Amino acid sequence: MNEINEKLSALYDGELNAAEVDELIDIISKEKRLQKQISMYSLIGAAVSQQSTNVTALDPKKNIKNAFSNIWFSNALTAAASVLLTLTFVNNVDFSRMDINTNSSKQISSAINSKEAKNIAEKSNEYLADHIMNIINDPNYMSSKNPLDLQNVGYKSNSDNGYIHSKGNERFQLRIENKNFGIKQIRYWKHGNKMIYLVPLNDGRVLTLYGNISLSSALSIAESANK
Amino acid sequence: MKKNSDDIDSVLIEKARNGNKGAFSILVNKYYPRVYATLFSFTKSKEDSEDLSQQTFIKVWQQLESFRGDSAFFTWVYRIAINLAKNFVASSGYKKQKINTSIEQAEIDISSFEDIESAVIHKQSLKEIKNFINTLPESLKTAFTLREVEGRSYEDISVITDTPIGTVRSRIFRARESIIDFMQKELITNE
Repeated sequence: MNEINEKLSALYDGELNAAEVDELIDIISKEKRLQKQISMYSLIGAAVSQQSTNVTALDPKKNIKNAFSNIWFSNALTAAASVLLTLTFVNNVDFSRMDINTNSSKQISSAINSKEAKNIAEKSNEYLADHIMNIINDPNYMSSKNPLDLQNVGYKSNSDNGYIHSKGNERFQLRIENKNFGIKQIRYWKHGNKMIYLVPLNDGRVLTLYGNISLSSALSIAESANK
Repeated sequence: MKKNSDDIDSVLIEKARNGNKGAFSILVNKYYPRVYATLFSFTKSKEDSEDLSQQTFIKVWQQLESFRGDSAFFTWVYRIAINLAKNFVASSGYKKQKINTSIEQAEIDISSFEDIESAVIHKQSLKEIKNFINTLPESLKTAFTLREVEGRSYEDISVITDTPIGTVRSRIFRARESIIDFMQKELITNE
């Protein structure tokens, strides 16, 4: 059985030859235990690649074992998946929030609930989802030619490895989209130990920053790009 | 030739397109946890997320012919899941105040996590898993880390560690088994 499990691990890594893959698929399709094993490998891989998050421990008194027991046994894979709940949810800066009033909120709310607005928003969301997934999944996506000179804000650019910008501990890549994804305010996410910032520019484009970079630095770069 | 996880996805997708349900079940099991996690971030409901996860993979199966391979398989699956979640949210009878109605809101609303135990589970268990990996024997830890963190092929790892490929494969497998064993013993109770 260990031999099968070891092959399964190699299959997961894409390291079996075609004949072995065929043979193993037949075996896996008959064994639920092996199917679950694949999910566990996936879970471990995702856990390791994410490593740490900023999701706050909301109730430190809660015993982790009890927390797991509440959800695990109804569906082991589902509970395992909850470990991954992170692609990740950090914050949003709303520059206009400080001076918005109730009436204008209602008007905006009415406008954004119109059918047309919803259609636009859905399209934008799809583009945005694709954009974020490309950033995360495609190593070449962010390595496009540097469209901005960041020397005036103190960043060095290294084109040897996909146009990486650096200053002190900060290292990141950037790209500019000619569409705005429907966003009107800076938005950011945490993925693993990296940040993703989407910053709408004054000319209607969107600046994407991805890497180890703080929000304040992202804002200063955006300010520079807007000049 | 260097193979990786995307390569095996392509092989499995091709087989699934030809009706091989075993190949498809491997893809489902490989991506179910990530799809579920995505959907849970929308619905905040275990039951709804399970239902939507199942619907997602039914749609994936039905639409597999249309997957062109322009993006990673999971990116495509993710879009299907998101669209289902949006339709679900828009459907009548769903308590909109309970959930976020768009990706944007879902992604920004950290306060919506406040009643979710899994936010706590997540951080603590990831840390425990990471700590456990650090306790693995050096040979297992090295092979596993090169594979999972750096995405190296077995051949690369074999060269880097000056070890036969068969040994690399065995070490990665043993590391995974140890981690699963740890998770089942330490992070999951039998209550």
